[in-house]
Amino acid sequence: MSRRPGFLVYGLLSAFVLGSTFPLYWSFVIGSVTKERAIQSPLPLYPGGYFLDNARRVFDQIDFWSALANSVLISGISAASVVFFSTLAGYSFAKLRFRGSNVAMAFVVATMAVPTQLAFVPLLKTFSNLDLTGTRTAVVLPFLVTAFGVFFMRQYLLDAIPDELIEAARVDGCSQLRTFWTVAVPAARPAMAILALFTFMQTWTEFMWPLLILQGSDVQTLQTALDQLKIAPAGGIADIALLQAGTLLATIPLLLLFIATGRQLVAGIMQGAVKG
Amino acid sequence: MSVTRTDAPAGEVLATSPATGSPVPPPGLTWRQKLSHWDFRFSPYLYVVPFFALFLVIGVYPMVYSGYLSFFSWPRYGLTHGEGVGFANYGHVLTDPVFHKAFWNTIGIFVLSAVPQVVVATVVAAMLDTPLRGRTWWRMSVLLPFVVAPAAAALIFGSIFADKTGLANEVLRAVGLSGVAWHTDRFASWTAIATMVNYRWTGYNTLIILAALQAIPRQLYEAAAIDGASRVQQFFHVTLPSIRPTMLFVIITATIGGMQIFTEPRLFDTNLQFQGGADYQYQTLTMYVFNTSNSGTDPYPRAAAATWIIVLIIIGIALLNYAITRQVQRRGER
Amino acid sequence: MRHSTTRRKAAVGAALALVAGTTAACGGDSEASQASLGKDDVLTITTFSDFGYDALIEEWNADPDRPFTVEMTKIADWDPWKQTLTQKLQAGDGLTDIVAVEGDAMPQFLSEGASDQFADISDSSLDDRWVEYAYKAGQTADGKQVGYPTDAGPEAFCYRADLFEKAGLPSDREEVEAIFETWDSYFAAGEELTAALPDTKWYDSSGSIAQAMLNQAEFPFQTADNTIDVENAELELVWDTVTGYSTTLSPRVVQWKEDWTANFTNDGFATMPCPGWMFSNIKSNAPEVEGWDIANAFPGGGGNWGGSYLAVPAMSEHQEEAQELAAWLTDADQELAAFEAAGNYPANVEAQESLAAENATDPYFNDAPTAVILADRAAAVEPGRPYKGDMYSDILGLFQTAIQRVDEGASPDESWETFTQAVDGLS
Repeated sequence: MSRRPGFLVYGLLSAFVLGSTFPLYWSFVIGSVTKERAIQSPLPLYPGGYFLDNARRVFDQIDFWSALANSVLISGISAASVVFFSTLAGYSFAKLRFRGSNVAMAFVVATMAVPTQLAFVPLLKTFSNLDLTGTRTAVVLPFLVTAFGVFFMRQYLLDAIPDELIEAARVDGCSQLRTFWTVAVPAARPAMAILALFTFMQTWTEFMWPLLILQGSDVQTLQTALDQLKIAPAGGIADIALLQAGTLLATIPLLLLFIATGRQLVAGIMQGAVKG
Repeated sequence: MSVTRTDAPAGEVLATSPATGSPVPPPGLTWRQKLSHWDFRFSPYLYVVPFFALFLVIGVYPMVYSGYLSFFSWPRYGLTHGEGVGFANYGHVLTDPVFHKAFWNTIGIFVLSAVPQVVVATVVAAMLDTPLRGRTWWRMSVLLPFVVAPAAAALIFGSIFADKTGLANEVLRAVGLSGVAWHTDRFASWTAIATMVNYRWTGYNTLIILAALQAIPRQLYEAAAIDGASRVQQFFHVTLPSIRPTMLFVIITATIGGMQIFTEPRLFDTNLQFQGGADYQYQTLTMYVFNTSNSGTDPYPRAAAATWIIVLIIIGIALLNYAITRQVQRRGER
Repeated sequence: MRHSTTRRKAAVGAALALVAGTTAACGGDSEASQASLGKDDVLTITTFSDFGYDALIEEWNADPDRPFTVEMTKIADWDPWKQTLTQKLQAGDGLTDIVAVEGDAMPQFLSEGASDQFADISDSSLDDRWVEYAYKAGQTADGKQVGYPTDAGPEAFCYRADLFEKAGLPSDREEVEAIFETWDSYFAAGEELTAALPDTKWYDSSGSIAQAMLNQAEFPFQTADNTIDVENAELELVWDTVTGYSTTLSPRVVQWKEDWTANFTNDGFATMPCPGWMFSNIKSNAPEVEGWDIANAFPGGGGNWGGSYLAVPAMSEHQEEAQELAAWLTDADQELAAFEAAGNYPANVEAQESLAAENATDPYFNDAPTAVILADRAAAVEPGRPYKGDMYSDILGLFQTAIQRVDEGASPDESWETFTQAVDGLS
C-alpha cells in the first residue's frame, strides 16, 4: 500500500468529490435563475444572473437574520452544554471508580440505539405544560446532553490521561475537583473542541424537532425558515428558484465553519472511530 | 472497563487500591483526611449526576411516558387521557395496512442507503489510504456534504428528482431513456430518498473506515506479500477482516439512523396529506408516528403504541445483526 | 456518531415541571389567565397560504394610536398547518392569539371537545355582518361563535381563451358559458380540445375537479348525524367521473406542487375551477401568459371552494384583543383590501355589495368583470351543500390522495379499496 497512487485513484477520487459538490452547484444554478426558468426544459446548466434578486426575496420573505441568530444561539448553547456535562461525566467514567459505573455506562450506550426522537408526543405535552412551546428554550432543551457525548469523552480520556498523573495529583493533595481542572480538562481540550464542533453541526441541522415545536411561532431556526420559503408572495405556490437560493444561503454559514475547522473535524471523526 | 474496577470502592484511581469497603473513613484520620476521603468517594457521582439528571428526563422519561400512554384512550383535542384500553392501540397499529407498508418502506430505504454507503465508503477509504498528494484536502472534500442539512439536501435533491421538471429525468431523456416516476414508483422513490441519505453520510463513513484502515499494522500486509498474496487477495484476507468491527459500527449506526428517517421523505412528499406518496410508497415508520399523532381517533396513544413497536423492531434488528456477525466471525475463525 | 448525537428530544422540561411544581394545563379546559396589552405589546396571528393581510397589518402597526402591535406568521399550505394546529390544540399550548382555519376543517374544530379549546367570540352586533351560511358555519350547534369568516370561495371557471381559439372552440366570454353549463357539456368540450391540442390537458388537476363536484354533493362523506358513509351514489359518481377522465383530460399532477406550477407556463392545461383566491395564484404563476379569461358560469350550478375563519384559541392570554383584531380584519374595508391583495372574495355582506357596485375589472383576465362574476357565482351557491361533518376534512384528504393514486397509474378499484380501508382507520 505504499505505492504512489496512479491516475486512476486520483480520477476516481475527483469524480467522488465532484459528485459531492454537484448538488450545491445545482442549488446555486437553480437559485440564480428566474422561477420560470427554473422549471423550463431544457434546464439551465450554468448559473444565471438572478441570485442576488432571489436572495433579496428570501430576505423579504423570512427573517433570515433572526433565524440565523437563533440557529447560532441554539447550536452554541447545545454545544457548550454537551461539552460541559460530557467532560465531567466522561472523566468520571473513564478515570474514576464508583459503584454502578459499568451498568450506567452500558445503559447510556444502549440508549444510543433507541430512537428517542419518536418520543415527541410526551415532549410536546410536557413543554406545553411548561408554556414553552414556540420558544428557543424548548428547541434547545432536548439537545443539552447526549449519550454520544459522554461515550465520546470517556473513550478519549481513557487513553489521554495516564493514571499516574491522577495519582500524582492525589499524592500532592489535590482535591478531585482540582485534579479534574488541572489534569483532565487540559488533556481533554482537543476532544472537547471536536465534540463542540460536532454537536454544533448536529443541532444546527436538526429539522423535525424545531419544526414540531416552532411551527406557527415567530421564532424560527434556519431549517424551519426554509420550510416557510415555500410560500410565494401571492398564493401558496412553491417557487423553486427562491427555495434553492434560500437553501444555499442557509448552508453558507455552516460551509464557512467547515472551511475554517474541517481539518479538526476530520481528525476528530477519525479519532473517535478508532477508539469507538 | 473490567468488573473489578466497578466493584472497587468509589473514588479510587486505578493505580491505587487502599481498598476500604466501608463507607466510614478509617478511624484515626484527621478532619482534613476525612474530607479528602469523602471527596474521593463521592466526587465520581457528583460528576455523573448532572448528566444523568438531564439525561433521564430527556432520554428516558419520554419513552416511559409514551409506554404508559399507549394503554389508554385519548380522544382528539382532549386535554387529558381517558380510560385504559389494554392493547387495543397496539392492535390498531399492527393491523393497519399503512403501518405494514411503512415498515417495508423503511427497510427498503435502509437497505438502499446502508449497502451502497458501506461499499462506496470502503472503496473511497482504500483510495484515501494511499500516499496521496494533498491528503487533508481530499479528506475534507469527501466530508463536505456533511455540512448540508437534511432539510437542505432534501430540497436540493427534490429539485433534481422532480418528476417532470427535474434534472435526473432531463438527463435520462437526453440520452434517449424514458424518465423515471420518482414519486410514484415505489423502488424509484426509495432510491431517490436513499440518495439523499447516502449523499450526506458516505463521506463521513469513509473517514471512519479510513481510520480503521490506518490502524491495521503494516506488517500484516508485508507478511501477506511475502506469502505471495496479490493486492486483491490482501484486501480480502487482511483488510476486510481487520476492519470488521468498524464495519459493524457503521452498519449499526446506519440502522439506527435508517429506522428514524423522517426529514428526507417528508420534504420529498408530493402528497398534500404527507402520506409519503399517494400510495404510501415512501411513508416511513417515523412519518407514520407523526401522522398518527394528529389524525383519526386516539391520536396520541396510537402514536405512542407505534413508537414502542418501532423500538422493539430496532432491538430485534440489532439482535439479528449481532447474531449474524457472530456467525460470520465464527465461520471466519474456523 | 451520526444519529447517536441523539436527539434526546426533550423532557428536560419534565424535570423542570416537577421541580416547578407542575404548572397548569393538566386538568380540564381552564382558560388561560388573561393579560391586557399595551401599545407595543405583541398580539400574534397565524395564517396559511395568502390571506392578503400583509399591508393591513403594516397599516395597523404604523398607526401611532394602535391599541397593540400585531405580528403575523404565514404558513405555506393549509395541510401542514392543519397538522400543527391539531397537534398544538391537543397539547394545549403553542398557538398564536389568532389562528386561521380552513372552512372544510371548521366542523372538526366545532365538534364536542375541540370547541372547548377555542374562546367564545360571539357578538350579536355582528349578526348581519357576513353572509349567513358562512357565519353559521363558524359556530357550534349550541351557538358558540368560534370563528369569524374571512372570505368565501364562490367558484367561476378560468379558461385560456387563446387555447380555446386554437382548438376551434368558442373563446368569447359570453359564448363559452354554454361549455360551462353542465358537467356533460364541460367534459365533451374537453374531449374536443384535447383532440385538437394533444399537448394540452383540459383541466389543471383531477383534484380540483373532484373538489368542484364534491362541493355540489349533499352528503358526500357523512350523513346528517355524522355517521361515516363513503359508499354512497353521490360520492361514487364523483369518483367514477374524475378517475374516468384521469388519463384523457387530466395532466395528472398534484395541485400546488412543482409540476402543477410548471403547467401554467407551458400550456399544460386550458381550464380550472376558479374561486376568487385562485385569480392571484394564476397571475403569480403565469405572469407572462396572455389569454386567461374568466367565465361567469359553473357546471351544475355553483359551488363554494374554500373560505376560511379566524379563531381565538382558549390558550390565548389576550382573548379580548384577539377578538378585536379578528373583528377588524373581517370588517368590510379590510375584507375588501384582502380581496385586492389576494383575491379572497369577501364573506362580508357590505364588502360584497361595494365590490358589486364598484364593478371592478381585471386587465390580466382580459378585463373580466371579476366583482360581478364572483357576486353572480356567490348567488349560485346552495348554502349547506355539501354537508360537512366533523370528519369532512380528514376524509377529503384521503379522497384526494385516492384520486392522486389513480392519476399515478393505480387501478380505480384498488385505489377505492385502499381509500375505504383508510377511512375505516380513522375511527
